[in-house]
Amino acid sequence: MSTADHDIPAAGPRTGLGTRLWAHRVDYLFLVPGLVIFGAFILWPMLASQYYSLLDWSGFDSRRIFVGLRNYRELLADEFFVAAFWRSVWFTLATVPLQMLLGLVLAVILNNRLLKLSAVFRTLIFLPVVTPVAVIAIVMALMLSPFNGPINDLITGAGLVQRAVDFLGSPQLVMWSLAGIYVWKWTGVTMIYWLAALQTVPDELYEAARLDGVTGRQVTMYVVMPIIAPFAVVIGLISAISALNVFPLIQATTQGGPFFASEVMEVFIFRTAFAPPSGTFPQLGYASAAGVLFGLAIMGLTILQVLAVRRTRRKEPGHG
Amino acid sequence: MIYRRTPMSRRGFLAGASALGIAAAARPAFAQDAAFDFGEPMMDMPAPNGPLRWLDSGDQKGVFFEPFLAEYGQARGIETVYDGLPWSEIATVVPLGVRNGSAPDAFTLPLDMPPAVAIDQGWVQPLDPYIPDIAEWRAGFPAGSFVEGINMRDGQTYGLPFTSDRRSSCLLLFGREAMALTEFEPSPENPLTWDQFRAAARQITENSGGQIPGFIIGGAQVNRWRDVTLQMASRAGAHFGMAGFVTGFDYTDGEYKLNSPEVVGAVELLLAMRDDGSVFPGVLSLNAPQARAFTAQGNAGMILQGPWNVPIWEAENPDFDFGFTWTPAPEGADGRTYTNSLPATANMMFLNADAQNPAHAAEVFRLMGTLEGQTAWANVVGPSDPAIFPAANEQAQMSDRSRAVIALQEQQVRATPVPYSANTGFVEVARLFQMPTPDIAQTVQGLFAGQLTDVQGSLDTLNQAMSDALDAAIEEANAGGANVTRDELVFADWDPMTDYSG
Repeated sequence: MSTADHDIPAAGPRTGLGTRLWAHRVDYLFLVPGLVIFGAFILWPMLASQYYSLLDWSGFDSRRIFVGLRNYRELLADEFFVAAFWRSVWFTLATVPLQMLLGLVLAVILNNRLLKLSAVFRTLIFLPVVTPVAVIAIVMALMLSPFNGPINDLITGAGLVQRAVDFLGSPQLVMWSLAGIYVWKWTGVTMIYWLAALQTVPDELYEAARLDGVTGRQVTMYVVMPIIAPFAVVIGLISAISALNVFPLIQATTQGGPFFASEVMEVFIFRTAFAPPSGTFPQLGYASAAGVLFGLAIMGLTILQVLAVRRTRRKEPGHG
Repeated sequence: MIYRRTPMSRRGFLAGASALGIAAAARPAFAQDAAFDFGEPMMDMPAPNGPLRWLDSGDQKGVFFEPFLAEYGQARGIETVYDGLPWSEIATVVPLGVRNGSAPDAFTLPLDMPPAVAIDQGWVQPLDPYIPDIAEWRAGFPAGSFVEGINMRDGQTYGLPFTSDRRSSCLLLFGREAMALTEFEPSPENPLTWDQFRAAARQITENSGGQIPGFIIGGAQVNRWRDVTLQMASRAGAHFGMAGFVTGFDYTDGEYKLNSPEVVGAVELLLAMRDDGSVFPGVLSLNAPQARAFTAQGNAGMILQGPWNVPIWEAENPDFDFGFTWTPAPEGADGRTYTNSLPATANMMFLNADAQNPAHAAEVFRLMGTLEGQTAWANVVGPSDPAIFPAANEQAQMSDRSRAVIALQEQQVRATPVPYSANTGFVEVARLFQMPTPDIAQTVQGLFAGQLTDVQGSLDTLNQAMSDALDAAIEEANAGGANVTRDELVFADWDPMTDYSG
């Protein structure tokens, strides 16, 4: 049944927008709460930050000077902004593939109905996801501490290193350490996404494969994977956006240090907007410009992945 | 290096990491013998216009003011509402509240906002119309409590300066058990020199078999690197401002001194201690509360930290035997450390220009400027945020050690000149000044982490950047009509061994 069949007269004189709105006023009324929330908490902040990005404004006094694109020009010449941007990109590239691969492996294993206690394992793997970041930060600071930290005890005891490693204080290691913590915390979510994807594989295919004498590995590679592959684009998109929003973890562990070595974009924005050096004014306009540029980058990534989804769908049977 | 196997307890670590004020757990005792006596109203008080609302940054202030205001409300027949918010929220709540008319009757300003800006913007109003005996009241405060350009403007009184900023965030605090491993016996009468400080850290580390690193710092908090460096340099004889556009600015000649031999020497001392292996491992990922907790657990020998550690350790770690002394100074030097002004501007309270109950708020201000109010504060807060009346600190209930810490700071900390008192146009300079990145704190952290390697070169670059930034801010401020010159920042009559009294 087409939409036209359902509720719009197929023929007849065209009516104005106002008339149509009035005719469906009750329907539109139900949209109002959602629109108000969307406008207040998403649309308005987006528009406001774009406006603020054109100002020289500290954020707390009435002196706002319109400076056009000056903040953007200064940002592009700001080595700390550029470094933070690429650090965010690095973090995404370092974490997302690993997170997706681990999540997939775990999902395939736990999707096996013959595996006993799979629900228990799922819960255990998902536990870090629901644990607050602040708790994770404190626990990880203990675990990774070079002073009596269990991980350092383990690797020094095993003779892997001569002296304790400062995982979160070493400029060379800090981003890798944070990436490891991040993957550990969020792989459970990716696993759940993959498990949902696996539910779309019809039981008949498993049954047919079993009757054909196909091995478990072959089922996974030649039956399951082709079916769930399109989901990878969506899962990758969600994971990438999540990896770009890593502020709580970094702020709670390293605060972007040592000496900017873990300062990703969100920490840069926070530092310029809300945490200026003592006794100086914050730069909300400048930070807003950084936020807008970062938002555009995420939007670009989103568009790329949406295009990838469409392309993948077109390749599916039934889509020509 | 192998460290001992008796780790700090999780409980202790969590306690430090959460950085909760110990006082929060206890009900405050405003007065030593009886309930606080609010006395007769200071004037014929108007009828309440809704509740009396008060906003500050919480922590110990919340421990004191929430019940204090409630008792005041009972005494005066007015409902009171207290809110304590983190600074990040004050930075948004107060400006928004002022704009839409919902700001509380009394509030503290966003942390980085010079009071003169709030006065210029019309956020706050003078106390003079509400406190009948205001000249007499002001006279009860120690000299330097009311500064034109900070809490005074054109002879009118704006801010309540109820706490003293005569605090050093870098006193040398040490565990006596650890110090017993060295040849030194530091005390307020016997401070350590830089060389002794370094030697003590090395001896603690070595003589404990590497189990107790000699020195710890919350190095993930970049401000700790700034404070430690600048205060040790000040003890070496440098004398400059400590925050904002006057960070490292020498008021005696109008030049920045962030590349001076004193600052270079302080940084090189920290690097030498790192290279000695006597700095706690992992300091670059520790915050200050964690470093404090490690010290109290006996896992580190010495820390350069503020007086607020004293009541926390006394309450949380009663078995921890610790001492304190001056910030270390080089052999033969005996400089002071500095604060930008005697009253602590971060704690200063202001009267909303559109307050619903201005007379009641002003009366609470007035009470906090009496010996009784100051003593009530000191009874609750002790040396953490000392009362601005020395007499209140002397007669308040606190441990002998807490009282001694305050006494030491009376000797060690001096107030610098205040630029705004020379010319209020410097408020505009403060607003326009763009701190170079990296600043002094980040530079020292980078040097310690090894990402920067040339101490003198890095500090030369920073010093020049600071000077250029100041010139740029002055030029821009003058373009807007500020009418200031850099020469006005030279206070040739200032003796750096004393508070600047103008």
